[in-house]
Amino acid sequence: MSEGARILVVDDEPQIRRFLRLGLEGHGYSVIEAATAEAATRAAVAHPPELVVLDLGLPDHEGFEVLSALREWSRAPVIVLSVRSREGEKVRAFDLGADDYVVKPFGMPELLARVKAALRRRTAAAEPLFSVGGLEVDLARRLVRVEGAEVRLSPKQYRLLQVLVANAGKVVTHRQLLGEVWGAAHRDDVQYLRVFMRKLRGRLEADPARPRYLLTELGVGYRLRTPDQLA
Amino acid sequence: MVPRMLPYLVSAATVAVVGVAAWALTRFVPLPHVSVLFLAAVLTSAALWGFWPSMFAAVLSVAAGAFFFYAPLFDFRVAQPQQVVDLAVFGIVAALTSRLAARVRAEALAARRRQETVASLLAFSERLAACTSDEELRAAVSEHLSRVLGPDAPPVDEEYRKALLGQAALALDRARLRAEIAEARLARQGEALREALLNSVSHDLQTPLAAILGSATALETLGEQGDPRARRELEAAIRDQAERLASDIENVLDLTRIRAGGMAPRLELVELADIVNAALRRKQRALGAHPVAVALPPDLPMLRLDLFLMEHALANVLDNAAKHAPAGTPVRVGASVQNGEVVLDVTDAGPGIPAADLERVFDPFWRGAGAQAAGRGLGLAICRAFVEANGGSVAVVPGAGATLRFRLPVPEAEPVAPDE
Repeated sequence: MSEGARILVVDDEPQIRRFLRLGLEGHGYSVIEAATAEAATRAAVAHPPELVVLDLGLPDHEGFEVLSALREWSRAPVIVLSVRSREGEKVRAFDLGADDYVVKPFGMPELLARVKAALRRRTAAAEPLFSVGGLEVDLARRLVRVEGAEVRLSPKQYRLLQVLVANAGKVVTHRQLLGEVWGAAHRDDVQYLRVFMRKLRGRLEADPARPRYLLTELGVGYRLRTPDQLA
Repeated sequence: MVPRMLPYLVSAATVAVVGVAAWALTRFVPLPHVSVLFLAAVLTSAALWGFWPSMFAAVLSVAAGAFFFYAPLFDFRVAQPQQVVDLAVFGIVAALTSRLAARVRAEALAARRRQETVASLLAFSERLAACTSDEELRAAVSEHLSRVLGPDAPPVDEEYRKALLGQAALALDRARLRAEIAEARLARQGEALREALLNSVSHDLQTPLAAILGSATALETLGEQGDPRARRELEAAIRDQAERLASDIENVLDLTRIRAGGMAPRLELVELADIVNAALRRKQRALGAHPVAVALPPDLPMLRLDLFLMEHALANVLDNAAKHAPAGTPVRVGASVQNGEVVLDVTDAGPGIPAADLERVFDPFWRGAGAQAAGRGLGLAICRAFVEANGGSVAVVPGAGATLRFRLPVPEAEPVAPDE
């Protein structure tokens, strides 16, 4: 497991940094703190973190700068902290390469679960077979099975599922999915995607209205659950 | 100009009738002073038409007397001196009675006009009093004044004009005063509303805050060797109350947003199920003590809604269900399509909402009579504001437990399916 991993915590509020440090250190992680964008970038270079917890609410929108600067050279998972009223912010963070988000205020157990999952995804090797619950995707043979029975998907449906499998456990934004499946020209046709996702769920989910595998991140995108997220 | 000639024609006719009557009479009875008979015609004219027609009748009468009755007949000359005197006296008496009769008539006319003026002013004032709105009043005044005093209206006397204008001015003044009073009352109500909001909010915020501070300091005093069960209980209390505080603050912020008018819904074609699931996920912990049953038909049409406003509205209703229904009782979410609308019901098995309060639960400051679980007010008020911003409606369905029913319009055009 990734116990002992180095985590960079970027937040301008000392109270928040304190409880994050106490909470994360209490679970065996080592924590580096940064209060500003500049300090964060410096700390990341000096001690490359294995995971970053980044507050998007840094002054002057500097949280986004930290994220894009980090993505220039690091693939370390980034969990962003945001507030509920700023939904657009979340989408932008995902498009810039964030891995997950937690809405403030949040509890420590929630953050710890996200941290654990992100670190595990990082170490998971790419495998030709993905499975969660009763859903199996054989990427090598382009086969999809639900509860053991093969399901026929159209090429576009399979492509959509493929992109989600490649990012399993992570939120994939509407723009990313549309760009990958329909091409750059359709990046803003979220309506397409919703209609399409309904069909895909119809094929894969026992109750499409209460999906187990293909989750909606409201206003942001979709997430394919991994087995440990299914609990 | 027939109307102006009419009095003279009628006067002439009256004199003629009297003349014929007098002539017929003199066939049987010799009358030395026929002129007396003509006085009747002169008086009639005076009473009906006034001074000049009656003078006209008098002159005609003298002429007729001289021509037809006094020798030589059929000649205007009069032979006998006493008949000359007779005609002269008749002329003078006729003139005097004409004047008198004309004055009596003028006075009667003036009295009638005064009465008409008073009646017209009274009618005007009654009409103004019946006006219920400012615009109506203004319209009534301008309509009446242009009808009575306008260029096409018959002339009126100065006094009447003044009375009319005075009355109109008074009515408009009164309306302005009334508006000012209403405005002042509204301002006062606004102040009371703000105060109630402040009270409600500070109550909502202070209660969990007090619990958090109390629990945290209690933990401190317990120290290392405190009863672990008590510690866990206090920790749980801090977490629960902080969560409640967070949701209350969110409600207050929302309310401010609604009141500030800064709520522009971003409508897009969405899956209702996505919204329901997001709201359920957000309220997962609050709903922890309740089994949740969701029944959404798979062929539910997509709806044109603002994702976040709708999710929030639904989350508030779920929060209420969690707060008011006893632990262990189920919360049900179900939807169906009825008459071009998607009907979404959220039902709990709590004490329900009394029939008298079905609408009041949406009032921002209302708390149920029991009020054991505070903070119900803001949540549903915000819920309704958000749903209405989405073009839908939300109401309480009377019955056992509380059922909140959302009605959401189904957009006309079906979404275009992307190519497979």
